[in-house]
Amino acid sequence: MNRSVTILVLLLASSLGSLAADSVVHVELDASKAAPRSVESLTEQAILRDYRFAWTSIAQALEFNTLDPLEGAFTGESKQALSQSVTSQQRSGLSQRYVDQSHKVQAVFYAPEGDVIELHDTAEYQLQILDSGKLIHEEHVVVHYVVLMTPAADRWMVRHLQAVPQF
Amino acid sequence: MRRLLPICAALCFAVLCAAQDMRAPASAVAGEDATISTNGSGKATFYLLGPGVSYKSEVGLGSEVRLKAQDLQNAGEYFAVLCSDTCRSASFYVTAGKPASLTFLVHPSRVPVGLGDAVSGVVLPFDQFRNLVLAPATVSFQLLEGTASVFSHSSQTRDGIAWFRTASQKSAGTLQVDASLGDLSARRAVQQVASDPCNLRIKGERTKAGILVQTEPVRDCAGNPVPDGTIVTFTATEASGRSTVDAPIKQGIARAQLEAPGATVISVASGVAMGNELRIGAQP
Repeated sequence: MNRSVTILVLLLASSLGSLAADSVVHVELDASKAAPRSVESLTEQAILRDYRFAWTSIAQALEFNTLDPLEGAFTGESKQALSQSVTSQQRSGLSQRYVDQSHKVQAVFYAPEGDVIELHDTAEYQLQILDSGKLIHEEHVVVHYVVLMTPAADRWMVRHLQAVPQF
Repeated sequence: MRRLLPICAALCFAVLCAAQDMRAPASAVAGEDATISTNGSGKATFYLLGPGVSYKSEVGLGSEVRLKAQDLQNAGEYFAVLCSDTCRSASFYVTAGKPASLTFLVHPSRVPVGLGDAVSGVVLPFDQFRNLVLAPATVSFQLLEGTASVFSHSSQTRDGIAWFRTASQKSAGTLQVDASLGDLSARRAVQQVASDPCNLRIKGERTKAGILVQTEPVRDCAGNPVPDGTIVTFTATEASGRSTVDAPIKQGIARAQLEAPGATVISVASGVAMGNELRIGAQP
């Protein structure tokens, strides 16, 4: 009986933990204007889930300066650039926090064969820059990202993530 | 009170003169040097954070901070922070350089002939550092059968993407798909194969072992030979019942041996296509 309760508590704690990690990243996706292929409902849900996971991973990687969160959500150029960011932060002792993330995402292109989707993300968050754990800069930022995602075996992966002044 | 005002003004002026400030570049291009000008006096710590880069260094206020090309290879937003007594920040964007390579996605690799909207291609231009080039550029698409151009289309990139879609051609064979942007080009190949069989014709004769039946060369409606391995189904119907045999096409022809001693009607089908019926008399 005690063992069952312990397992239940652990499972509950684990799910609450992942819920907490997810809840700090708010993502809204509008795929109604995607062309030339329309985005199926299940695909839209999968992209929303995987894009939110990607930002949770970015926040963790750049706050704790670890490469592990980048596995699974990123591929190609985005993975390379983020890995470079983490390794250079490890060297310099800097870190970044992305607090209260909110992403308004619009799908603007979905390839005829469904092998690439382009998203425009207007992201808002509180950016904190820390030097050896000491806060040196904090500001509320609004950043526009052009995002390319491609399907993998069981998920959508961020292949390209590029901030631009405007869409 | 009147005496205090000039003193306050002088103090404020002195503080403003001593405080550091900086001016970020209005625009920067990936892989090119840039500078950030600072004012004030004394030493400060300069931080740069951007996609793929993060460092800090000691700088002298009042001079320019040189940002090396190698630190600005990734397009995106960069944050510069300058700290002495207090910290000041500025952000700037690095944009992609000129297109240096094309990512060209073409689908499918194999397609039946004469199918509408069956072939599509997507082009994404990247600069030498693999940044997506978002500035509009004209991409030319061309489809060739041998040396003959069968489709051409020009499209301007929008948000870094240009694409086309068209029907597959009438003849089986290799379809060359080219995309070009300025001096850059990319080439892919699509194998066009025959569509479903059309006008199946069979002939047969009774032999000692039964009935040997075979098709004429199997072609699609455009006259292209249907690929070997395509299954053709022969059905023999006689008074005692019905039997079927599946046979793959080999060298353009499908053959089958049917055991039917009585008077038999043989029919043939492949996919949705039906052929002629053949009536063979009973074994003598």
